[in-house]
Amino acid sequence: MAPAAPQPPVTDPADRTRLAWTRTAVGFAAIGGAMLKVSPIAGGVVLLLSLPIWLIARRTSGAGLAGSSPRDLRLVTVTVVIVAVAALVVVIFGRSPDSLGQLLRGR
Amino acid sequence: MTAAGDGHEPSHDRRGGETGPAEMGAASTGAASAGPATEPVETEPDPRFTLANERTFLAWSRTALALVAAGLGIVQLLPPFPGVPFGRHVLGVPLIVLGAVLAVAAYTDMMRNQRALRRSEPLPRSVLPRLLAGTIGAVATVAAVVVLLSATR
Repeated sequence: MAPAAPQPPVTDPADRTRLAWTRTAVGFAAIGGAMLKVSPIAGGVVLLLSLPIWLIARRTSGAGLAGSSPRDLRLVTVTVVIVAVAALVVVIFGRSPDSLGQLLRGR
Repeated sequence: MTAAGDGHEPSHDRRGGETGPAEMGAASTGAASAGPATEPVETEPDPRFTLANERTFLAWSRTALALVAAGLGIVQLLPPFPGVPFGRHVLGVPLIVLGAVLAVAAYTDMMRNQRALRRSEPLPRSVLPRLLAGTIGAVATVAAVVVLLSATR
């Protein structure tokens, strides 16, 4: 009877995590590109913020089974909050005819 | 830990450096944190659990980002509802705010889960699904009201 083959190294979860990071970076870039149309400054900021997320994705691919640091994860959270605040500013003070900014300018 | 004993090496053998997930959660198991006897013992969880936790956090973050994009799209791309001033803002702003709240809650949730994994405790119940479902349900109801009001005027 042949001896049992040694267990292969576990790389699949790390690959899936790297892909998740890449999807997240692409998501940030996509919303940044969309915001460029509405507000070039806010969109540019969001687009720039997708760069560190993508860099984390690149770094994660070389980290093996060691996960990301809490600082990296905090960066994602802070970036989403910044995107939300930028979106709120665009929505409230934007050029749309029923925005709060237009209402205040009309008075 | 059920999956830790299925033939793979323990996580602490594979980890290196000071920026690894060992920092997640509560205090480390070093001598400096040796407190009262009631303090739960913390050990490194299986790395697959840590990575799964990280992927769940990233999935929630992408959901939060999608909510922000949806809110922005509603206000900027939809035509105004006739007869319902601020109709688009009533629908879009809560989604954007929910996106920000969800991102912060996802981080808190991930940290709590990681702490529970380190202590070999049951995972705490997450409020995120209920928060998301409740807010989307409320926004959908408001959307139906706004559309009906707009159609009758």
